[in-house]
Amino acid sequence: MPDNKYLKRLFQAYYKENQSVIPILNLFEQREFGFIPWEKQIMNRHIGFTSPINLKKYFINNTPKHAYSSGSLFIRPENQDMQEKGYQGCDLIFDIDVDHFYTPCKEHHDIWYCKECGEKGKGMVKKCPKCGKLKLKKLNWICEDCLNVAKNEIIKLIYNFLIPDFNINIEKMKIAFSGHRGYHLKVEDENIRTLSSDDRREVIDYITGENISFEILGLQEKGGNIFGFSRETIGWPQKIINRIEKLLSKSNLEIETILSDKRKFNLSQSLIENFINFKDNFHKIITNNHNNNWTLVGFSLNAWNKFLKTIIAEIGIEVDVPVSIDIHRLIRYPGSLHGKTGFKVQELYPDDLDDFNPLNETIEKLDPIVFKSEKAVTQKIEIIEPEVPITKIKGKTYGPYTKGEKIEVPHYIAVFLLCKGVAKTI
Amino acid sequence: MSDIYDLVKRYPWLPSLKTYYSNIALRNPLDFLNEIFSSNKSKDLKNRVLNLFTDAFNNIEQISDYSFDETNINIYLILRILLYALNDKILSNRVANIYSKTTYNVLNKENEYNLDCIYKDLDLEVNYEEKPTVYKKIVLKSQEEISRTNFKISFIDYLKLASKLKDDYRKLVNNALQHGYVYIKPESLNRLLQEHVRMKLLAQNIRESTNLDVFKEKLFEIQEFKELYDTIVAIWELKKDEFEYTVDITFKEGQDMSKVFPPCIKEILSKAQEGQNLIHTERLFILWVLNALKYPEDKIINVFSTLPDFDREKTAYQVKYAIKKGYTPYSCKSLKSYTLCMANKYKDKLCLNGYFSKKLQEQRQISHPLFYIQYKQFVASIKTKPEKTNLNDKDA
Repeated sequence: MPDNKYLKRLFQAYYKENQSVIPILNLFEQREFGFIPWEKQIMNRHIGFTSPINLKKYFINNTPKHAYSSGSLFIRPENQDMQEKGYQGCDLIFDIDVDHFYTPCKEHHDIWYCKECGEKGKGMVKKCPKCGKLKLKKLNWICEDCLNVAKNEIIKLIYNFLIPDFNINIEKMKIAFSGHRGYHLKVEDENIRTLSSDDRREVIDYITGENISFEILGLQEKGGNIFGFSRETIGWPQKIINRIEKLLSKSNLEIETILSDKRKFNLSQSLIENFINFKDNFHKIITNNHNNNWTLVGFSLNAWNKFLKTIIAEIGIEVDVPVSIDIHRLIRYPGSLHGKTGFKVQELYPDDLDDFNPLNETIEKLDPIVFKSEKAVTQKIEIIEPEVPITKIKGKTYGPYTKGEKIEVPHYIAVFLLCKGVAKTI
Repeated sequence: MSDIYDLVKRYPWLPSLKTYYSNIALRNPLDFLNEIFSSNKSKDLKNRVLNLFTDAFNNIEQISDYSFDETNINIYLILRILLYALNDKILSNRVANIYSKTTYNVLNKENEYNLDCIYKDLDLEVNYEEKPTVYKKIVLKSQEEISRTNFKISFIDYLKLASKLKDDYRKLVNNALQHGYVYIKPESLNRLLQEHVRMKLLAQNIRESTNLDVFKEKLFEIQEFKELYDTIVAIWELKKDEFEYTVDITFKEGQDMSKVFPPCIKEILSKAQEGQNLIHTERLFILWVLNALKYPEDKIINVFSTLPDFDREKTAYQVKYAIKKGYTPYSCKSLKSYTLCMANKYKDKLCLNGYFSKKLQEQRQISHPLFYIQYKQFVASIKTKPEKTNLNDKDA
């Protein structure tokens, strides 16, 4: 790909100009590094650097398409054999990537093509809805909406779980916008580094609500009545009750809309009516510590289980599970560039999160879009994909485009479209 | 002398053993054995060690003569050396189980002050609060089940003790986690310590055989130790057959299924217990059989736990999937086609000759391993009722 050479030169220029501001990870010398070059999609890992200067030299001399480092610490990070590296522990990593969960905006900007039957469509699908085959070509896009969903998940993770439940010091959390479709959060804590993969699985189950047992926590059927949780039960039952209380505080119309949502509760009209009729009574019950009788017409134990699973899905965090469990995973190096967008992997403080908008960031030092210029330089490119969704960056909308279109766009838009592989230079 | 000094006599696995009994705990094992077996405690010590092994082999839940004296410390140290020398996983499991269960029962009788000392000695971040916290409440009609505790353990230490135990109620998500601590009753924490002790004893078990042989040669130069070792091996050899297949495999509490298993199942279980590799069809077959027999999920997973490539996470997923799907185990015909039929190898009469059907008045062949089990169970039940003498009147 001739454009790869062009993009590599641009990335190289970035690394040359910004070498002084590329962050240096804690315990840098104990980290394993991995890089994917522009020339082939193979990761070159098991690399160790004795000094940050060498990493910066690597960025300039080798200019990778993607750069990663380990959450793990090793005595010999450069050793090719994982068993011989001298594992010393691993930061706890959370990866939130909108690729892994549904957002309504995907119905507008994620495009799929079935390689088997030729069908095409928009949205998040796992298989072709027409022929049922899994061979799909996908063009996933980003917008402020889905990146906001990802950001909110990180905020929920911090303030609903890591601080109140796990008591993790906020100063030990390293957050970064991944440069594409999500965020990373790394907990750098000596004690937490000692957690095994099994232990990490338990942490993930906790923050996602996976493997929760309603029965153990108090949901039971006795004598034809359903008994629910108590607010005094610490942990998930409290979270669930708070969420139900929030639901009950809404208007009947709002409750009806929420409970009928096919992607969520998907309750029948009669169940919704019963729930709304029960609303005030239910509110009294969940605020009363001596009466947990949740018996409601039409709500069997199974129905309650289904209802509570939806509540849990709303409370739990959408994390990419294997990333957290696998102690040998590498994650994107902060300050490096993402080869699929040209955006910077931007480190953030928790306080930055609320106002941070990766596609239209106003604070220069937090802006992941690095290929912009004062002179508003534009560039001509040609679209090579049949359909390219709308791109909204820096408050301006570009596209949608179709194959063969020759366009002149700001430099950073051109870099983005070239990195996404939907355009070529002309 | 500190409180922990006495507690170490009860719990010799505590780290303070090395502080307060450094004269024995840090000694070269050979010097320790030489001295202890030439002392006047030797006879009592040998008897108690033998009793412990015998209790373990007899599948008794608790060591019958567990005492809180200094000999208890010596027993623990000898136990570790013996398990190392015996180098037998099944045997070690037996001993580790009884020892850790006894520990659990003794721990449950401790007062909170001592428990706090024990937890601290283990370097567990366990906090004791004067005022108990209500951390769980279940209300059923007029009945209230309120769980209170004075103890809470840091989630990191909780996970280190609990994450390998796969019971749902021990999962972090089903526990009271707040401000980095899990609220826990001492009995539950003691159960986690039981597992800690069990694993500590089993950790002795993995050694290179060349080093072991050299070490054993030196150990056997101590006559008293050699006699003790040989006696244990002799008792074990006699007992071994009784529970060769029942170590982790019980259909219902107290019910031994192994005698009614057909050879195809016995063969695979035997290979699994020896830690041999199983081929894919063997794994599927045994999984489906155990599931058909309604074995609990964790017990099925444990059957695979000795395999060289065992991965608990993957196995748990596969077991869950199989249970969900409810597959039926291979029939005898399929087993033959997969070369998993072991009728000839075991010269099993029921497999080879079949049974007499009273209803059909003819000799019939066994067509499915589950029917084999059903038939054997029926025969076993007849044997317990002597008035019914015809062993072959069970029909399919």
